[in-house]
Order: sequence, then C-alpha cells, then structure tokens
Amino acid sequence: MIHVLEFRSGAAVEVSARDRRSDMLGLVVDGSGAGAPASAPTPDELLARVGAGDREAFAALYDVTAPRVFGLVRRLVVDPAQAEEVTQDVYLEIWQTAPRFDPARGSALAWMFTLAHRRAVDRIRAAQAAHDRDLRIGARDLDVPADTVAETVEVRVEHERVHEALADLTQLQRECVALAYYDGLTQREIAERLEVPLGTVKTRLRDGMIRLRSALGVTT
Amino acid sequence: MTGPRDDDREHTDEPRPAREFASLEAMRELAAAHALDALDTDERAAFDAAAEESPELRAEADSYAESAAVLGALAEPVEPPSDLKQRLMAQLDGLPQQQPASQSAGGEASTVDSSGIAEPATSAEPIDRPAGRAQAHARRRWFERPGAVIGIAAAAIVLIAGVVVGVGWPGPNGWGAQLEMAAIASAPDAQSQTHEVAGGGEITLTSSAEQQRSGVVVSGLPELDADQTYELWYLDDSGAVSAGTFDVSGDETWRVLEGSFTPGVAVGVTVEPAGGSPQPTTEPIVIIPT
Repeated sequence: MIHVLEFRSGAAVEVSARDRRSDMLGLVVDGSGAGAPASAPTPDELLARVGAGDREAFAALYDVTAPRVFGLVRRLVVDPAQAEEVTQDVYLEIWQTAPRFDPARGSALAWMFTLAHRRAVDRIRAAQAAHDRDLRIGARDLDVPADTVAETVEVRVEHERVHEALADLTQLQRECVALAYYDGLTQREIAERLEVPLGTVKTRLRDGMIRLRSALGVTT
Repeated sequence: MTGPRDDDREHTDEPRPAREFASLEAMRELAAAHALDALDTDERAAFDAAAEESPELRAEADSYAESAAVLGALAEPVEPPSDLKQRLMAQLDGLPQQQPASQSAGGEASTVDSSGIAEPATSAEPIDRPAGRAQAHARRRWFERPGAVIGIAAAAIVLIAGVVVGVGWPGPNGWGAQLEMAAIASAPDAQSQTHEVAGGGEITLTSSAEQQRSGVVVSGLPELDADQTYELWYLDDSGAVSAGTFDVSGDETWRVLEGSFTPGVAVGVTVEPAGGSPQPTTEPIVIIPT
C-alpha cells in the first residue's frame, strides 16, 4: 500500500519497514543493501563489536549502512566531493567513539544518523558562513531566495507507521521539521525564511517532534 | 493583575524559580530542536553542557534522536564511491579508539571531539569552534530570563492601543507576536467580539480582513493537564485547519492565530493531546463565527 504524503522538496522516496522502530530502521538498511540474509548481524550487534576494536565488524557495518548514511549526507550536502568527505568523517568518528556507544540510550542506527546529520549540518553552515562573508563584502542585505519553501514534492512512504506518524503532524509542523532536518536550517533561519516569529517556529518544531515521538512510540 | 501570561512553555515569563530549575526547563524546551540540529552554535553548546550534567535531559534528547532518525531513514539511499571503504579501512591504524565511559556517560556521544582524526580533509572546525564570548553570551541568554512579565494589562494595551510592550523576547507572546497583535488590533477594519467558553471563561477574537490575521485573548479558562493543550482552529465548509496551540497557566492569555484569516470563517477552540492534533478530536468549547 502506497501512501502519498506531502513532505518536502526532493526525490520521491520509498521506505519499507516493519512495525517496531528498531526493526524498521534495520530493514530500511537491509533493503538498501544486497539482501542480507535474515541471520545477518544487526547494526547494533556490529556496532558493539566495532566498539571492541573489531575491524571486520566495522567493514560489515559500513556495508549495511553506508548507502543510508551517504544518502542522508548527500541530501544535506549537495556537493558530492564534500558529501564524501563528511561521510568519511562520520565513519571515522563511529570507529573512534563506538566504545562509548550505550545501547541503553538508543539504537545504533539512530546514533549513526545523529552523527551524520550533525556533521552534515556543520559542513553546510561552515560553507554558508563563508558564503555570507563573501556576500557582505559584495552586496549587503542580499535576500536568500525562499525556493525550498515553495517546493513541495510528494514523498511516497510505504511504511504505514512512518506515514501515520508524519500524518499526525500538521502541515505547518511538517514544514518546519523538514526545513530543519533536510535543509539544515536553524530555528532562527526558519523564522526568517517563513517570515513568522521565532517563537512560532519553536512551538511548531517542538509540537511536531512531540507528536512524531509519540506516534512512533519512542519512550522517554 | 494576575500572574504570568505567557502560554508558551518556551518562554514562560514566570518569576524565575531556582536558577537550576529554570535552566533545565529552558534546556528541555530546546531538546526537540537539538535533535533536528536546528539550534545555532551557542544554543547547542549550552544544551550539550547542560546535558552532561543532567541524565533527565539526556534521556529527553535521546528520545527525540530516535524520532529524528526516522527522518534520516527517509532520505534516499545513495551508493558511496567504491573506494571510500578502502580509504576508511586504511585509516583505522592511525586512529585509536576512545575508552568506554567508565561510569555514567559523560555526554552525548555525538558531541565527542573527533579532532584526533588525522585526515586533513576531516576538518572538525565547525564543531570545535572555541567557546568564547559568543558562548558566554548564549549562556546569559539561555540561563537568565528577562525579568519583565506580560500580564493582562500588557496584553490589553497591545490590543487596545497597539502599543508594543516588549520584553525583547521572541515567542508566541514575544515582541514579534506583539507587533502582529498590535497590527491586527490597530487595523482600520479591525473587528472584535467576545464569547463565553463552555466550561468557564471567555474569549475575545480580534480580526482584520485586510491583514488576513486574527488574534485571541482568553481569560478564565481552566488549566489543563500536562498531556493536554488548547488548540485553535479556523473552521469553514471545507473543514478545520489548525491555527496553533496554547496553554494557560494563569487565567488569561493571548495568541496570534497561525495561518490566514478570511471573513466568514469561524474560529474554534478544542482541547487536544499535548502537541496539538492535525484535526480536532474533541468537541469545540467555543465557536466564534465571523
């Protein structure tokens, strides 16, 4: 069953997964690879072994997760060469910090996506800062076009639970969450882009994430 | 004059309780944006510092991180360049792993300094920005709230005279919203009407067709449980569209409605689960036709 969901600019994406959050992320990764057997170690198991210095596990973890991580980074960092650098940083950081990964605090994939997203966002903000400096030297007060706001493309989400979770958000909440997560904007930048008060953006982001969390059944 | 009026948990202009409590509460309000990496550098630094001290805040951040990861999983997979894996594996020799956290985790794993990475291309510069004056400023900003309190009088002044009583603090009741509220109230075509609310209290809707905006002042509405919120709706023949949520901590508050106002729509209020709902799930406690 294919649900159509207006979510953000970008390509149509299909996600297949199962009911449980951890299963869902796991299957997403499996589905992107070459069809790993059901008995293949999970990313959580692999990451635990990476934490003990197991290079084979690191290689296996890379194989099952790299398209996902690279895909997320590419979504934020458009330049392929920079996206590759960021992805390399992410995996080196995974290697270094895996011994400190605490499975009690969340899934391996969530942890990896968190690292990847943060590094990608840092990269585009650093680039943006340099860009802004250049602009200030040239023309002041140059408006950044609000192109991404206008663009809304349908994201097909096969997975009912993700669909339902996102459908639980209001359109305004989804817009703010998408601008933050996929465009890497800060709350302040979103407020400027949408020309609404900062507090409104904060409220939408928070309410949206509360609803997403509750719909996905993530316990606090 | 009653107490604090600000309904947004983000900017409760309440008399500041113990400093620790205030800062933790302020940080909790940032947790969702933190998981989306939507905080600026100063805010993130303040949050990460606070999370190191507070297991409760870490748990909050972790729960949002799991939710954000689902968004990450929606990104279309892309095969990385085939030589990336080889280059990665070749670099492991020069990269000592960190020691496992001995006791309780010190902070988010994601904040760990990775500057030990030898590869020049892996500049960690954006992450390792020195904590200088900007960060100190952020701490002042986030740990200390402006003393001013918007009460009934301030909101009334905004409504009646269009005077901005600023606290220099953005939010649904901050200066930005006050400007909007003032603009609505002072519009040449502004209209205002007061209705009683089922369950107690009353609500005044002020709207401007010209500006396509409206705002409400409510008073005497009962406080809700923490897992509930009031939600505003624009209602017309095609259905209900959310116009934002609000909570009352005293007996009156005001709010500029999200979205566009057009004459003829009705404004309704329902009680919804915390965070609001995409569509009303309960009967409205008031409907104001325009």
